[in-house]
Amino acid sequence: MTTRTRILAIESSCDETAAALVEDEIVILSSVVASQFETHGKYGGVVPELASREHLRAIVPVVRSAMRQAGLEYEQLSAVAATVGPGLVGSLLVGLTFAKALCFARNLPLIAVNHIEGHIHAVVLESRRDGHPVELPALALIVSGGHTHLFEVRERGVYRLLGRTRDDAAGEAFDKVGKLLGFGYPGGPIIDRLAPFGNPRAIPFTFAKMKGNTLDFSFSGLKTAVLRWVEARDMAHEIARRKSLLAENSRPTTNEWLQVTPPMTLDLLASFQRAVIEELLRRARVAADSMAARSVIVSGGVACNSGLRAAALETRLGCPVHFPSPTLSTDNAVMIAAAAFPKFRRGEFADLSVVAQANLVLA
Amino acid sequence: MSVHRTHSEDETIELGRTLAAELPRGVVLLIGNLGAGKTTLAKGIVSGRVSADPDEISSPTFTLIHEYGHGIYHIDLYRLEEERQVESLGLDEIFERADLVLIEWGERFPRLMPPARTEIHLRHAGVDEREIEVLKRET
Repeated sequence: MTTRTRILAIESSCDETAAALVEDEIVILSSVVASQFETHGKYGGVVPELASREHLRAIVPVVRSAMRQAGLEYEQLSAVAATVGPGLVGSLLVGLTFAKALCFARNLPLIAVNHIEGHIHAVVLESRRDGHPVELPALALIVSGGHTHLFEVRERGVYRLLGRTRDDAAGEAFDKVGKLLGFGYPGGPIIDRLAPFGNPRAIPFTFAKMKGNTLDFSFSGLKTAVLRWVEARDMAHEIARRKSLLAENSRPTTNEWLQVTPPMTLDLLASFQRAVIEELLRRARVAADSMAARSVIVSGGVACNSGLRAAALETRLGCPVHFPSPTLSTDNAVMIAAAAFPKFRRGEFADLSVVAQANLVLA
Repeated sequence: MSVHRTHSEDETIELGRTLAAELPRGVVLLIGNLGAGKTTLAKGIVSGRVSADPDEISSPTFTLIHEYGHGIYHIDLYRLEEERQVESLGLDEIFERADLVLIEWGERFPRLMPPARTEIHLRHAGVDEREIEVLKRET
């Protein structure tokens, strides 16, 4: 007789179709993200796992693969969790409907999870597993291509929104600057790799003073400032060289990028990255002070940025800072399972009539 | 239809609010380079229609589609490269049932955009100045 709690979680809020099995809050039995299937040639190369049709193709093999890797049968599950929002309705529906059908067929409880809460709990899971748990109340900075939020995190799943972006997400600013400079899309990870080769103080980008909530972010002005800086210089030739490098080779190495990126452009990348990081951490510090945070959580795709990681550890935020490992920073289903465990303990189950909510808010 | 000039973000949002009352039902393409003010204008238009705080209307670049209720959609196709990808979003269904669909970078996929539509062209015209032209296309 087993007393283990095992949750199968499904995430399909945007581009990724993902499934994971987590046991007893912290043991990751399996984690599958659809892009891993690329090597199978099943999806004919570089097809983004986009929108409902792509999720539909991926969902069954992804869940099966997660179950097989975990070595589990459906009888051994305690519950099924799925992302209900925020995200694209058509995409969310695929994962949620699959989860509902499985719950109905196997008589399992369904747990509805907010995607953003998942990003927070990816860090809660890893910090507990690694023996230095996040202490509450915590400040959570969620930074990705689609989100830039500051939340106060309290016991029993209580959240309070402290600030958010009013225009572009931080990851979006990275990706758009990368694209306009010829690094392809998304260019954020390439900027992070090249930034250490430039002078982060070469170009003094500034942020306009925010009216209203001082914990809100705005990255649209910085993106435009980079565009104007590029337009004021003759960079067409080097941008064309980078585009042709990318056309020949979809994954250039750092050295190959350096060969087509002059020092001035490296300075631009370094200065831009520094500006974003300082803006994120400046407001995070004020937010952490305002709520007397005992720890800080940084999660979401931009949490992979090594410049942000280094700066967050150097900056005195007044309390320990927790990052997820890179594979749990970007969208995945482990984080959905992690967020589902406290709900399972509290008996917060969703009715099978629960619907996907594109604009679901956490607080 | 009309040409406007704005001199700040606030003025662009205000213009959006004014246009919200005038725009016909259907698809509106917001056309302009990066940083031209497409999302800023969308903030004004959406907040003029659904009485939302403009601060709550952010860029849909990553999430592709933002729904604001009352049949109002804000779509951004910036990060999509192929028609096939755009087709998988099911835009036709949205076009059918929506009241107002604002689309950024939709002009890159002309075959998938309805021929009867409004186009708003935004041009950067000096430090904080924007020229914003509203055109109605019938065919």
